[in-house]
Amino acid sequence: MTSIQFFVLALTLYLVGALASLFASPRTSRGVAAFFGLIGSLSALLAVVFALTEGTPPSLTLFAIQPFGEFTFQMDWLSTLMVALIALVGAATSLYSFSDAPANVSVSFFTDLFMASMLVVVTVTNAFYFLVFWEVMTLASYFLVVWEFDKKESARTGFIYFLVAHIGAALIMVTFFLFFGKAGTFDFAGIRAASIPSAVKDIVFVLAFLGFGAKAGMVPLHFWTPDTYAAAPSHVSALMASVMKKTAVYGILRVCVDLLGGSALWWGFTVLTFGALSTVFGAFYALSEKDIKRLLALSSVENVGIILMGVGLGMIGLALSFPTLAALGFLAALYHMLNHAFFKGLLFLGAGSVIDKTGTRDLNLMGGLSRRMPWTALTFLVGALAVTAIPPLNGFVSEWFTYQALLNAAGSDLFALRVFAPLFAVSLALAGAFAVMVYVKAYGGAFAGPARSEKARFAKDPSAASVVSLVYLALGTIVLGLGAPWIAPRIAAVAAGFAKQPLIAVSAGWTMLPGSPLVSVVSTPLVAILLIGLLIVPVVVVAAYGGWRASRRSNVEPWSNGYGYAAVMSVRASSFDQPVKVSFRPLYWVRTLVERPYRAAANFYNAAVESVRRAEPVVENAVTRPTLKLVETAGQWIQTLQMGDIRLYCLYIIITLAILLVVLFGGSGS
Amino acid sequence: MTSMILVSILLPFAGGLLTLILPRGWIKAFSAVVSLLAGAAGIYVLAAFTAAGKVDSNADLLYIGQWLIYGVTLDKLSVLIGAALGLVGFLIVVYSTGYLTDKNREHPEKEVERRFYFFLLLFIGSMAGLVFASTMLGLLVFFELTGVCSWGLIGYYDNEKARKAALKAIITTQVASLGLYAATAYFFALTGGTRLSDMAALTDGAKTAIFAGVLIAGYGKSAQLPFHFWLPDAMAAPTPISAYLHAASMVKVGVYIFARCIVSAGSVPRIIGIVGASLAIVTMVYGFAMYFPQRDMKKLLAYSTITQLSYIFFGLSVSILGSQLAFNGAVMHIFNHAFAKSLFFLVAGALAYTTGTRMLPNLRGVMKKLPLIGVCFTVAALVVTGVPPLNAFFSKFSIFAGGFQAAQMNPWLYALVVVAILESVGSFAWIFWVFSNAAAGQPSEEVAAAAPLHPAMAFVLVTLAALTLVSGVFAAVWMG
Amino acid sequence: MNPFTLFIIGILQAILLLLLAPLYSGFARVMRAKMHSRTGPPLMQNYRDIRKLMTRQEVVSEQAGWIFRVTPYVNLACMFLAAMVIPALTTASPLEAAGDLILIVYLFALPRFFLAVAGLESGSSLAGIGARRELLVSALAEPILLLVIFVMALLTKTTNLGRISTEVATGAFPFSLAFVLGLAAFAFAAYIEMGKLPFDLGEAEQELQEGPLAEYSGRSLAILKWSVYLKQLVLVALFMALFIPFGAMTELSIVGFILALIVFPLKAALWYFIAAIFENAMARTRFMNAPAVVWMALGMALLSFVFYLANV
Repeated sequence: MTSIQFFVLALTLYLVGALASLFASPRTSRGVAAFFGLIGSLSALLAVVFALTEGTPPSLTLFAIQPFGEFTFQMDWLSTLMVALIALVGAATSLYSFSDAPANVSVSFFTDLFMASMLVVVTVTNAFYFLVFWEVMTLASYFLVVWEFDKKESARTGFIYFLVAHIGAALIMVTFFLFFGKAGTFDFAGIRAASIPSAVKDIVFVLAFLGFGAKAGMVPLHFWTPDTYAAAPSHVSALMASVMKKTAVYGILRVCVDLLGGSALWWGFTVLTFGALSTVFGAFYALSEKDIKRLLALSSVENVGIILMGVGLGMIGLALSFPTLAALGFLAALYHMLNHAFFKGLLFLGAGSVIDKTGTRDLNLMGGLSRRMPWTALTFLVGALAVTAIPPLNGFVSEWFTYQALLNAAGSDLFALRVFAPLFAVSLALAGAFAVMVYVKAYGGAFAGPARSEKARFAKDPSAASVVSLVYLALGTIVLGLGAPWIAPRIAAVAAGFAKQPLIAVSAGWTMLPGSPLVSVVSTPLVAILLIGLLIVPVVVVAAYGGWRASRRSNVEPWSNGYGYAAVMSVRASSFDQPVKVSFRPLYWVRTLVERPYRAAANFYNAAVESVRRAEPVVENAVTRPTLKLVETAGQWIQTLQMGDIRLYCLYIIITLAILLVVLFGGSGS
Repeated sequence: MTSMILVSILLPFAGGLLTLILPRGWIKAFSAVVSLLAGAAGIYVLAAFTAAGKVDSNADLLYIGQWLIYGVTLDKLSVLIGAALGLVGFLIVVYSTGYLTDKNREHPEKEVERRFYFFLLLFIGSMAGLVFASTMLGLLVFFELTGVCSWGLIGYYDNEKARKAALKAIITTQVASLGLYAATAYFFALTGGTRLSDMAALTDGAKTAIFAGVLIAGYGKSAQLPFHFWLPDAMAAPTPISAYLHAASMVKVGVYIFARCIVSAGSVPRIIGIVGASLAIVTMVYGFAMYFPQRDMKKLLAYSTITQLSYIFFGLSVSILGSQLAFNGAVMHIFNHAFAKSLFFLVAGALAYTTGTRMLPNLRGVMKKLPLIGVCFTVAALVVTGVPPLNAFFSKFSIFAGGFQAAQMNPWLYALVVVAILESVGSFAWIFWVFSNAAAGQPSEEVAAAAPLHPAMAFVLVTLAALTLVSGVFAAVWMG
Repeated sequence: MNPFTLFIIGILQAILLLLLAPLYSGFARVMRAKMHSRTGPPLMQNYRDIRKLMTRQEVVSEQAGWIFRVTPYVNLACMFLAAMVIPALTTASPLEAAGDLILIVYLFALPRFFLAVAGLESGSSLAGIGARRELLVSALAEPILLLVIFVMALLTKTTNLGRISTEVATGAFPFSLAFVLGLAAFAFAAYIEMGKLPFDLGEAEQELQEGPLAEYSGRSLAILKWSVYLKQLVLVALFMALFIPFGAMTELSIVGFILALIVFPLKAALWYFIAAIFENAMARTRFMNAPAVVWMALGMALLSFVFYLANV
């Protein structure tokens, strides 16, 4: 079978799973959807593997609806990467949902539908069908978010999510309309070939960036993410954070880089700036959350910021014709997309297990789970280390490439770049420092310390399938990190092919380099080997002193100044971030800044509704009623002619006869 | 095919007359059968037309002397709309058999009233007659007939409010129809007949005058500014009537005659397009603004209908300015909106039937207590706001795309299209918010005490929901 | 110099730093005692403390997990790795593939993470508070570190530690005001990271009873203390490598090696001496005031950056 056939098979399997789960009981539907999700993802993976070996990008046209165009799937390099991403994470979430998803027919149906729509979105080559399936994706995820619809907040959360997504889709729709107006077609190929005036291109960029950015959750359009991810079931949150946000970035890449052709400098700068802002604010807001899912959601905002920084740098490189910068920027962005999908999926699934077993999302009510849920704790730790960019895991690799891209940009002749690139690097570092705090808080709050609630005391690891999914994602994280010297060139090839730039060298043997070994080299596998190997040093040191002979006792309470120890004395998640909040208080100023106009808008709205309510019967009062009154009065007036008195009627007849006689005979004169 | 068209026109007329003399117990079943046959005839015409390769044709039927009084015309426009209206008519009759019973908690009915089914069947026939008419006189006659039937049906409950509403409706549409009278008379004077296809040969000035008259009549019948105010009050009618007349068919008469004249006239003077587009946007914005104070679900839906109709007017006007895509979109929207809006109205009716109220503040937690109605409610809310893959998206998309296409030559059109898109998003926000509040959460008092739904009504709701899922793609493929 | 030789030198250098680390901490303590006009513990006391701790029984809180047990070893391994790759005896990095500046800075996050989690794991409130303060300090210091690193990287067109060190040492480097300010800012940042007063927030002995270290005992405490000493020395070595690499070997030779062996400890001693003078001239300040001082360092770093931009 060819790759495109595997792809269509994957789609079919997802759809079959969705439909089949409609007819099953709630518990069975969960298994059915999970099963088909899993084999569908495997099929998509096979499609990716085969596509890598085929020469030309595989494509398939299913049908055509005029005048919208043909419905064609095409797996060019970027689409193949996205399909791989969806398949890899989809497999994990499907495996997880065998036993740890809600037993709910709606959830099962829409999960598979969601995955299918995402597969279509990243491979279709026509703007109309892209938009249709983009909205189907939103629709499916909306129903997943409001699955507990008997709770009052779920309506509000789902509504805000759908509204923001719909506004974004409207912006994207206008983008495509502008393309259609100039190119006369909705097909991507036609749009690429058309000549579009640069003013229109600028407008298209702004609309598309905002439209896709709303879905990607970048600042300032991020406010829907915490509530939405918290409300959705965990495997759905994992899918949304890991995969759906990446389809939004894919949209930016596809529309703003691929379809628009070259690039204007200010576009790249805009993307870079918003990326940097998202990075800092995302990490900072994540600090103040005590709900684990909201924390992870805001951390996703931070990571999307890092991806956007890479995209922005790539676009700047394209605009200035710096091939190295372009290649590095896009490489960093694509690599971070892949990495983030893995470790964020891992973190959300792990969080899901924890929430499931402890019955709460509040970090302050967990604790001590590292002993009771060892697998979850271990994999969550791997995820936490990865997301805080600690070498040698994958988060470090993509952040390293981002830094190298910033360095490359800072070395250019353009003054604005020389000024801002290092400052953005500083913001990245600051966000990284915040991220360490966030994840120490998350891991520490959930897994360390004493158990702070009844249920936490008796938690245990989730079922085997879920544990396997967690371990699989953790292994993927490690492989992406340690295997970077061999994976980076592949992704660089995707970036180069997509941006139509020459390929640059990003690795040599066991090391990675940013285009030239003179700038720097780094080898994550070497660091990993050394770190593990050097653990021998302290062991030897202790042995040298004869320390291994001493015994150990572990049945004591922590030191509490002589008071009896109680679990409430331990530092909880909420008390963890107080010093930072105080030191960095100005960063919260943005939130308070938004409050005032919001309240003003609410008041304005109430006043407007009142005036509309008064305006509604205006026509009624000014036109209809007077007219009806007039008709009535006229009618009554005429009615006086018909009094009912027969003598009056005789008088009418005589008068009429008289007039007729006069007219007929008086006129003629005879 | 012509004979089938005549069946779909005359059979309901005959059936309507028969309901006046049949025994009461037979009326419901009889009406259902008659409307089923009429609807089937419409669908047969659609199938036959498609099979014959969608070739336009005309058939002249009724002459007085050498003047053609009535003929039928078969083209994409008439066949598609005719099929839709017939199908929806049948569904409405079935729904009414369940709705107008004593189990209805909002308006219980003691016994079957003849005049309801009489007027309804007459109306179904008149609509078919209008849609297939190939002469202006035919348009006019059936235009007036639908007005009379509407009066009878709006005032059905025979209380103070209903009578006033009926009177307001008929007076307003009558005043507006003077435009159509003038247009017909002028047309007759110019061409010596009222055959619509003769319009293509007229001068631009004449066309402008005729179109102006047609537009005035259309605005009245389709509740656009400044003749819009009868529609919200017409909600005093029974809900199936609101669904059929005031969402699916009678209000479509206005847009239909406009579309029919555009097709017949070949090239239309640009001024009509400019005026039409601008007035459509004005109505759109006004209708949108009127959403916010509404507490009665049917009134909210009435204003939503007004804005949807202005979309169709906008699409038709834009097509005059140079976009076939917009015309197709407008026609598709007539088709799609019929299913979508009637579904929404019937959901409102179902809610009133089971809970006794249709006031939005009192409706909470519908999904939990009444899942079938809840699901149909969801589909309706999504459809009306234009979310794919439901049907309204395809037609709205085509209208907007056509707008951008025409805007290449008319840059001022960009502003109007943007306003339309903004309104679409705004509508989505408000209607979806209203829906979210009503469907989610814990059931309110009224909902918690809901009675079960009549099976006929459930059947119709599910059928319409399924239709809204497929009709969009179907229409897009069929028109394209 | 061929990589294999460099690697051996790297290991030797790391062992040297490991062995010297407690000595320098002792030196700082002796300096403090002298400045307080008292005698204080002797220079070699740290070695004796470590030996004593090694043979004591370890007492571990019952809710501590495996991270608590593993942290001291991970920290020491991490610092040993850092000690291996920083150019101390040579101007080239002994392990080029791991001698990247950004890697080093992020590598410091690993022991910090583990120590903070270990602090939370033990369940002691003192350890927990110490953990969060520790993280705050690093959050304040990292941006400064990275900005200075970036300026240096821009000046030398590379982030490879060895290359920067070589360029500064061989004088092929454009010395400028930017360099001087960068030096000052980095020194400040290193001072903060080393936990000298008033930045010993993590282990504020008077307040927190050594914070995260409080719950450790026996051999784990010994290893952890040693890793803390080593971290401080490694930071000093990093500073030297970037800004004052003179005396380190550029070409392999016996003379050069002996010279480097003498010069490096002297340089480190000088640094500790100056730092001790600063430290003991300061008083402990309220925790919340400490960050305000950090902004000054950030200002210096920004100024250095501005001067770089202006080519001064």
